[in-house]
Amino acid sequence: MKTKQYSAKIFEIELENEDGFISFFDKNYLFFQNNLIIIHGQESDSIKNYLDSKNLKYVFNLEIPVQKKQKTNLESINPIKTLEEKKEEPKIEPIEKPKTNLKVLDKLIRSGQEVKLDGDLLLLNRVNSGGSIIINGTLIVTQVVDGSIRCNGDFMMLQASSKANIVFHDVEVDNKFLQDKLNRIELINNEIVITPALKETSWV
Amino acid sequence: MGIVIAVISGKGGVGKTTTTANIGLGIAQNDKKCVVVDFDIGQRNLDMLLGLENRVVYDMVHVMDDDIKLKQALIKSKMSPNLSFLAASQTKDKSVLDSDKISKLINELKDEFDFVILDAPAGIESGYEHTIEFADRALVVVNPEVSSIRDSDRAIGILDSKSKKVKDGQEVDKFLIINRIDAKMVQSGEMLNSDDILEILSIPLIGKIPEDKGIIDASNQGKPIILDDNSKAGQAYKRVASRICGEKVDFVDVESHKESFIQKVKGIFK
Repeated sequence: MKTKQYSAKIFEIELENEDGFISFFDKNYLFFQNNLIIIHGQESDSIKNYLDSKNLKYVFNLEIPVQKKQKTNLESINPIKTLEEKKEEPKIEPIEKPKTNLKVLDKLIRSGQEVKLDGDLLLLNRVNSGGSIIINGTLIVTQVVDGSIRCNGDFMMLQASSKANIVFHDVEVDNKFLQDKLNRIELINNEIVITPALKETSWV
Repeated sequence: MGIVIAVISGKGGVGKTTTTANIGLGIAQNDKKCVVVDFDIGQRNLDMLLGLENRVVYDMVHVMDDDIKLKQALIKSKMSPNLSFLAASQTKDKSVLDSDKISKLINELKDEFDFVILDAPAGIESGYEHTIEFADRALVVVNPEVSSIRDSDRAIGILDSKSKKVKDGQEVDKFLIINRIDAKMVQSGEMLNSDDILEILSIPLIGKIPEDKGIIDASNQGKPIILDDNSKAGQAYKRVASRICGEKVDFVDVESHKESFIQKVKGIFK
């Protein structure tokens, strides 16, 4: 008995709407020329004829043993899996929009004024002594901070004077390190890390 | 239609009333009809600085309550025929103020004068809020020290949220007067310099007034320092008044300190 083992590139696709399927392949069929296409859905002659005309290899409703991969530990399956994921990406991308709740403010925060925000904030002005910002998201301030800041976000970027009071995740940051230039303050492994912006940042 | 200018500072004792008296007189000397109104209800003192100490019979509360006509309460200054004064009440307190009455009074004054200058009380309470309510412009008086700057910052914040012009979608023009600048202390770095103050408050500068010991005597005698041609502070107030009237006047450096030869020699023997 003779056996041969191949590591092939396989592409799985769900067939719901024939027109959508054909228009998708019209645009992308070149990517699939070296792939085996497994189609899950209703077999139909029009699809078969279309795929034949494009010289594509296909099977309908075939279960591939991808799920068992962890048990079998066959390394040859891994590239297939990654390829599948890559190929499917262009289908998903146009639907998903990046979710941001960034607010951009160009307002001088004067003494007695307070900005409270749940999202992220980009402040293009100063925070004067007596003014305060309380924020749960990321914070960037492009001018000097003299007031107080409470930030619980991923990181902060700011330059603070010696008068300022900067609290990041309930830890008071020593503003000795925040003077002179813009600094990035972030929490890495429960430690506050301050990295100065090396180049002079020019804001447009 | 006149322009209403509120003189504000937040902190007390920085020279609001002195500034009001001098600038009011300066504007009058520029041939504009000007009225200065003391809005510090309960604590009248602008009359003393203008030399009108015992001439007040009726005050603005009498006018607002329609007890008398506005003309009866206005006091003409002896120093300039263009300058009038409306006194604050000393028997009532600020609770007598109400927006409708103030609006009526200010509109009457605007019809009569080119400039209506309101001397705001210190602090940021209701008396202050009523002063800024109908202002077209604000003169912010600060001293070069941190507490004065922070209080002014707060006062500007309130002005930007509570004045009628802002509520109507417009903006109140704010101008900064830095008062009591001591050139020697600025140069030695003990006093904040005006660039730092401007950066913090971010409003345009309209004048820098040097510290002048003559101001105390001038206040005591009821003769505003602007009448003294030898006083540096008086000259500085004159320039501010001209700028308010729309003239272009160059800024004079009051922050660099030059010692004369004799002073230097004296310094050696100190």
